[in-house]
Amino acid sequence: MPGPRRPTGSARARYAGSTVCSGLQLPAGPTPGERLCSTEEATAGSGTYTRHGFIFSSLAGCLEKKTEDNELPVVSVVRDSESQLLPNVGAVVTCKVCSINSRFAKVHILYVGSTPLKSTFRGTIRREDIRATERDKVEVYKSFRPSDIVLAKVISLGDAQSNYLLSTAENELGVVVARSEAGVPMVPISWCEMQCPRTHTKEFRKVARVQPQFLQT
Amino acid sequence: MPLDHRRLRGPEESQPPALWAGTAAEDEEDEEGAGAVPRDPCALRPLFARAGLLSQAQGSAYVELGSGTKVLCAAWGPREAAEPGPGRLLCEFRRAPFAGRGARGRPGAAAEREAEREAAAALREALEPAVRLGRYPRARLAVSALLLQDGGSALAAAVSAAALALADAGVEMYDLAVGCALCRPPAPAASWMLQPAEPEERRAAARLTLALLPALNQVSAVLGGGRGGPPEDWAQALRLGLDGCHRQYPVLRQSLLRAAQRRDAAAAAGAAAAAATSA
Repeated sequence: MPGPRRPTGSARARYAGSTVCSGLQLPAGPTPGERLCSTEEATAGSGTYTRHGFIFSSLAGCLEKKTEDNELPVVSVVRDSESQLLPNVGAVVTCKVCSINSRFAKVHILYVGSTPLKSTFRGTIRREDIRATERDKVEVYKSFRPSDIVLAKVISLGDAQSNYLLSTAENELGVVVARSEAGVPMVPISWCEMQCPRTHTKEFRKVARVQPQFLQT
Repeated sequence: MPLDHRRLRGPEESQPPALWAGTAAEDEEDEEGAGAVPRDPCALRPLFARAGLLSQAQGSAYVELGSGTKVLCAAWGPREAAEPGPGRLLCEFRRAPFAGRGARGRPGAAAEREAEREAAAALREALEPAVRLGRYPRARLAVSALLLQDGGSALAAAVSAAALALADAGVEMYDLAVGCALCRPPAPAASWMLQPAEPEERRAAARLTLALLPALNQVSAVLGGGRGGPPEDWAQALRLGLDGCHRQYPVLRQSLLRAAQRRDAAAAAGAAAAAATSA
């Protein structure tokens, strides 16, 4: 149960000194609406907004100031425990296929970049957005299957009826992890096929090209 | 005659409990009205605010006023919504069944639900200018306020608690919304009083609730009505209310900072424990 307020001297001192300090993250940082500095001294980063020529904080977190070489320092407010990210247009997201259709595949968006989302968002990959070449000869059944993990890019936030629209029309996008009919994780052998290591059957998927830094040779 | 088993028949000699409850309340009121020293109209009640106390919600806040008003508020971050466009803020305001003094008229009556819906709409009007909804397209932010005890100025306390809960949940906001209530007693030349207690609010001729964004100095909601006198009196009441909001702002900010410190300390302790067990 909350007890009576007891102001602690250390908290006061930290707050009084928690103005902008380059490169350090100070605890007990700014609160929403606190004026940080003017726009001539720094540029606004994430978690801040500008008004009347001043930069204000919009989160209750830690203040960060990053100094670049030639440009103005970037001031941002960070809450490192949780970050409320939403998929933006152009972001690469990791999603899981939940159902497929002859026209599209419905997915659950799990990660945006490398940060997990707390509540899942729904997305759609249309048939013509699966590949970049021969877009109308694509068969969804030969590109994705339910419970595949897919890397995709957000192309639109969608209108009233549809969810987020995603696209895998690039070499680095597509199926990353898939299980075969036997339930074993499959190994990719080309951009359109994956093979099960136990039964050696090949299945069709639109496979994402592995980035060179992740290849072990 | 056969006994009627469907009804509960009380004893033959019984008296309604309101007989005793009514006299007790009137005694208190007479004492306050006659013998009490007239309170300073600009005095603010002691305010207690604490953020980050619920584990089930992403953000939470508890605000208590000296007159006995207790409000608990929880906020949840962006979840998927079906409508396009900027994000939406969904507010809910509930009164606990034990919140008011005396008996409830009819529990679950339409009038109660209507009052709760009006209070929720007022909460939304006060909070929407403070939240950066443009940063959360196609998302839904939920805020739920529970009034545990009504000691006057309940809506104003709920506005402050809801703004604290949203800031604690990590939702991007322009500023904290601070709420303040005023009332004017029915005497002919009476002046406006800040943060009335429940008996004063009940007897008031006019009530006013303000919500202010102090750092930006913008008023986000003005609600109220009654017979308040000439318009200059209302303007003076507004100024008094804005001053009250400015005076409450440092307390709310300090509670947010303390919640952030507690969260950082807990995260550091958790990381140290995990490192110790893995090493």
